[in-house]
Amino acid sequence: MRRFDLATPESLDACLKLLGSRDRETKLLAGGTDLLPQMKNGLTKPALVIDLSGVADLRVLAPDDGRGFRVGAAVTARQLERDPRVKATYPGLAESGALVGSIQVRNLATVGGNICNAAPSADMAPPLVALDAEAVIAGPKGRRRVPMASFFTGVRQTVLGPDELLVEFVIPTPGPHSGGSYLRHTPRRELDIAVVGVASQVTLGDGGVCAKVRIALAAVAPVPLRATAAEQSLEGQALTPERIERAAALAVEAARPISDQRGSAEFRRHLVRVLTRRTLTSALARASA
Amino acid sequence: MSTVMKTTRDVRGVGLSIPRPDGPEKVTGHVQYVADIKLKGLLHAKLLRSPHAHARIVSIDVSRARALPGVRAVLTAADIPELKRKAPTRAHAVLAIDRVVFAGQPVAAVAADELSIAEEALDLIDVKYEVLPASVDPLQSLKPGAPPVADAGTEADASEALAHSAVAMAKSDDAPPKAVNVTQTANVKRGDVAKGFAESDVIVEKTYRVPMVHQGYLEPHAVLAEWDTTGQLTLWASTQGSFNTRAEVADVLGLEENRIKVIPVECGGGFGGKIRALCEPITALLARATRRPVRYVMTRREELEAGMPAPQVIIRLKTGAKRDGTLMALEAETVLESGAFSGTVLAVSSVFLGSLYKWPAFDIKGSEVLTHKPSVAAYRAPVAPQTIFAIDSQMEQMARALGVDSTDFRARHLSRPGDPMVNNQPWASNGAFEVLEKAAAHPMWKKRAEWKASGGNGHGLRGTGIALGGWLGGLQPTSATVKLNTDGTLAVLTGQVDIAGTNISLAQIAASAYGVDIEKVKITTGDTDVAPMTGLSAGSKTIYTVGVAVMQAAQDARRQTLEIAAGELEAAMQDLEIVDGRVVVRGMPDKGVTLASIGKKGNLYMSKVPPVIGVGHPAFTQQAPAFAAQLARIEVDPDTGEVKIHDFVIVQDVGHAINPLACEGQMQGGAVQSLGIALTEILDYDDQGRLRNPSLLDYRKLTAADLPNLETIIVEVPSPAGPFGARGVGEPPIIPAPAAIANAIEDATGCRLTEAPMTPEKIALAIAAR
Amino acid sequence: MPKQILSFTVNDEPVETLVQPYVTLLDALREDLGLTGPKEGCGTGDCGACTVHVDGQPVASCLMLAMQARGRAVRTIEGLANAGVLHPLQDAFVRLGVPQCGFCIPGVLMAAAAVLAEHPRPTEEDIRYGIAGNLCRCTGYTKMVAAITEAAGSLT
Repeated sequence: MRRFDLATPESLDACLKLLGSRDRETKLLAGGTDLLPQMKNGLTKPALVIDLSGVADLRVLAPDDGRGFRVGAAVTARQLERDPRVKATYPGLAESGALVGSIQVRNLATVGGNICNAAPSADMAPPLVALDAEAVIAGPKGRRRVPMASFFTGVRQTVLGPDELLVEFVIPTPGPHSGGSYLRHTPRRELDIAVVGVASQVTLGDGGVCAKVRIALAAVAPVPLRATAAEQSLEGQALTPERIERAAALAVEAARPISDQRGSAEFRRHLVRVLTRRTLTSALARASA
Repeated sequence: MSTVMKTTRDVRGVGLSIPRPDGPEKVTGHVQYVADIKLKGLLHAKLLRSPHAHARIVSIDVSRARALPGVRAVLTAADIPELKRKAPTRAHAVLAIDRVVFAGQPVAAVAADELSIAEEALDLIDVKYEVLPASVDPLQSLKPGAPPVADAGTEADASEALAHSAVAMAKSDDAPPKAVNVTQTANVKRGDVAKGFAESDVIVEKTYRVPMVHQGYLEPHAVLAEWDTTGQLTLWASTQGSFNTRAEVADVLGLEENRIKVIPVECGGGFGGKIRALCEPITALLARATRRPVRYVMTRREELEAGMPAPQVIIRLKTGAKRDGTLMALEAETVLESGAFSGTVLAVSSVFLGSLYKWPAFDIKGSEVLTHKPSVAAYRAPVAPQTIFAIDSQMEQMARALGVDSTDFRARHLSRPGDPMVNNQPWASNGAFEVLEKAAAHPMWKKRAEWKASGGNGHGLRGTGIALGGWLGGLQPTSATVKLNTDGTLAVLTGQVDIAGTNISLAQIAASAYGVDIEKVKITTGDTDVAPMTGLSAGSKTIYTVGVAVMQAAQDARRQTLEIAAGELEAAMQDLEIVDGRVVVRGMPDKGVTLASIGKKGNLYMSKVPPVIGVGHPAFTQQAPAFAAQLARIEVDPDTGEVKIHDFVIVQDVGHAINPLACEGQMQGGAVQSLGIALTEILDYDDQGRLRNPSLLDYRKLTAADLPNLETIIVEVPSPAGPFGARGVGEPPIIPAPAAIANAIEDATGCRLTEAPMTPEKIALAIAAR
Repeated sequence: MPKQILSFTVNDEPVETLVQPYVTLLDALREDLGLTGPKEGCGTGDCGACTVHVDGQPVASCLMLAMQARGRAVRTIEGLANAGVLHPLQDAFVRLGVPQCGFCIPGVLMAAAAVLAEHPRPTEEDIRYGIAGNLCRCTGYTKMVAAITEAAGSLT
């Protein structure tokens, strides 16, 4: 890597001060699993890197006063993979964490980094979108909240301003009889990036009918995408295999995949259908358990 | 001299499964590779590489780079008078002079105090290019009028072919007019193929394609260069052949070989990619310019973009047979894409296409074509996996069309020892039939119908595949010495780089040939100053050739020892034997002398007894082909196309297992490379000749989670000339898997794929299209 | 760019050293501390050859800055054996003939040690997923899995 200066703030305020007073190309460093490869490839050449590993506030992983769960931006994928509370209540999110890279990468990669890097294939984005999570952002004027569905604005682009810092995600507690699932397709079982990823989140109401459903897709559009037509086709309905199949077909229509070296658009559309069907089925099973 | 020796009285040597002696050093992280070596004043090198596949260099301005503090040298071609205008080989193209011929070709070189400074220096070098049209698709590049890659008159480089096999190249008399980028052609013919096809009841015609792949060694190319004040160059190199490296560097830089010492440092994998010199010349030049030691380690990105990969191979294959299964005709056109410099083993492909099975009529044409991509080098059994992919897939399809068991079909038509190959040389003795038979008898093959029937019902589609392939076996003259130490132990010296764990097997050969237990034998790989001339660690010929050299050296040392002892014991040499560290008269165990006493006398002041040093320095004429069959039991997810390998078996003829443990390791490692070619690996170029996947994220090598335990079955059909009957082990296991997997996929899904890698996308879309 | 003081624990020993802020943990271990066991195979976290433990967890040290290890406990392959006695994993790897070229081995052993810490009685799947982040080109992984299984048996 080219040379750079390193700042190691020990608090959120110190961090924000550094961001606010920056006078040269600056990057925030959390797990480094996206930033360091980018720097090594010359895609970004910051003069100042701000290491977030000393900011304890970013690592919170705890209930939010009964209203949900707080996941700090610097919580690692491995933590999400293994935390019993996450696995029990947000299994789709735990699954997405478990799929990033390898164990050696998951022990470094953070959910905040995965989201802020904002690659269309970011694994942890669809579950957060499907769970109606909110991003808590700190800036010079205080804090604001942004729903995950609005967080991404383009490939590698988010609503974050240059002097803002993602602090944590707040995930509402899904109601009773809820279940979620995240699946992705990769050519290998580990060390890979999603060709397509799908998260489904289902809440059942009276009579086992679908009260609420969210379907979020990765790697088939510039940003993580909700398949709203597919969702609408299921709300208020019993989730039969036929309806699930219909929803899967509608999800395909929502997808706008490109062909690149990881897969053709045709294959990606094919996978959207398969993975939507499978995650809906899995989410339904978990919701019914 | 017969090379099949009986062991001397139960010594611990040949045949034992002994772990490599460097195991403890490796598991503790103590073994040093080039990048681990520290020298005082070390500088770090970086190369600036062309972003264009074909361009004219208009100008290079290095002034800003030279001015960066911490930069000690910046070189361009203008600074290197030794460079030939027309680089005959890739190694000679140290830095591009006025034209670049592949994306990634080095254009300038920097040495700096820190790697980070060297990287920044590259940013400060201004190169103006005039981009030229590039030849990127080999099938376009072989047409007349394609953008030319080589300077006119560059000869085909046959050195690679000779390094790997002793196949005589079939030159054709009526060569077609060469397009400018076609650098080798071959044509072998027998009989009348048109008539053969006319009389066939079943004809299969397919085009098989395997893209360029990288050898995938985990340690990138690395070299450390230092000159002393007398003009002696020392190179610590990660190489498969220190003598070859020395010769190439000497040639490129115009130096005498005696001015260069190449120290073969522990090599973190080569598989053919570290045979040819690549980074050594430029690193030596930077060291000379700075008068400091310079280290250059390629990044993984550089390895993938600008290494020396395996060629892309495209084979159009047409075969015909009668309804009763008689083979009638084979017609093939092979295109080998060599990248920017010639160097493929074209002849090997023709040989395996037409010689593995008996064809009454064949017409096999091959051409090597240049493109604006990094030039190729060998990759473990060069061209054989791709060739067997074609011919074995074809045999499987023919058998299916005829409704016969495909192993019976292969066995029926398999060439046997003595049968003529396409170049009319007779097949040497080999175990192809025994290997095939053993594989066909495996329960996995016998139960394939049940496995297939168990598919569906909550499982994916299930299938089983088998394939047979082999390697002719390389030959290269070589030498070794065996010394008797003053304590009666033996010291074996070769120049052989021990990448495959061959050193322990060589020591076992020395032990058995001399008559001591393996614990009494130490083997050393020496550098080019101290070791006797040694060939490449490649071509599956280390045990086969160096094993003979070591065996002969040990026998020579034994003879000298017995001669000395005979004098002392006043006995005839033929009455003496070596038992438990002593030379004794047979039947009179009290009448003997210790090996230690003989060794001591050979190094004692005023002694009349000479030191015992055995020398073996053979050359070879007889190849020992070695065959492997692989069985794959798979399950295919019909929706995503993902392939799960449930079980996998490698059956291989090793002639005689000098060290079964080592044989197993080779068989398993080669199989995984073979599976990578089959399922996931491709160097994916865009239409501008730039690599789209220059990282290990997207150049996919299989992980432990993608694989089952790999079962190994060793077959032994001794070779007439190998040490104790041994054959080469390294190359056969990389050969059969692409065909075995394609056959398994067809069994499971009904889809025949002919393009590797057989990715989930290709499989899923093929299933969906059916 | 001035160097910074890095204070941390390496293989149970407290270490204080000066490092450039822009060097990775891998490079600091190798170049500044002479611990060349961890290797660079790719530099981007895709091969596992650089695997070390940080606070007991296996990480890709090529993706961490050295300064990010401040105050933490790092263990490299050089710290796996105990006072010259090989760890059962190391011993099993030697006896079963696992290492070939050896380049991946330090990383594999550190990943395997982490597998056994989490799964004292690992299944084959636990092992294969536990070392899935470690590429090996020589061995085909089969003997590694057998050696790790055997070492687990001797540890419990």
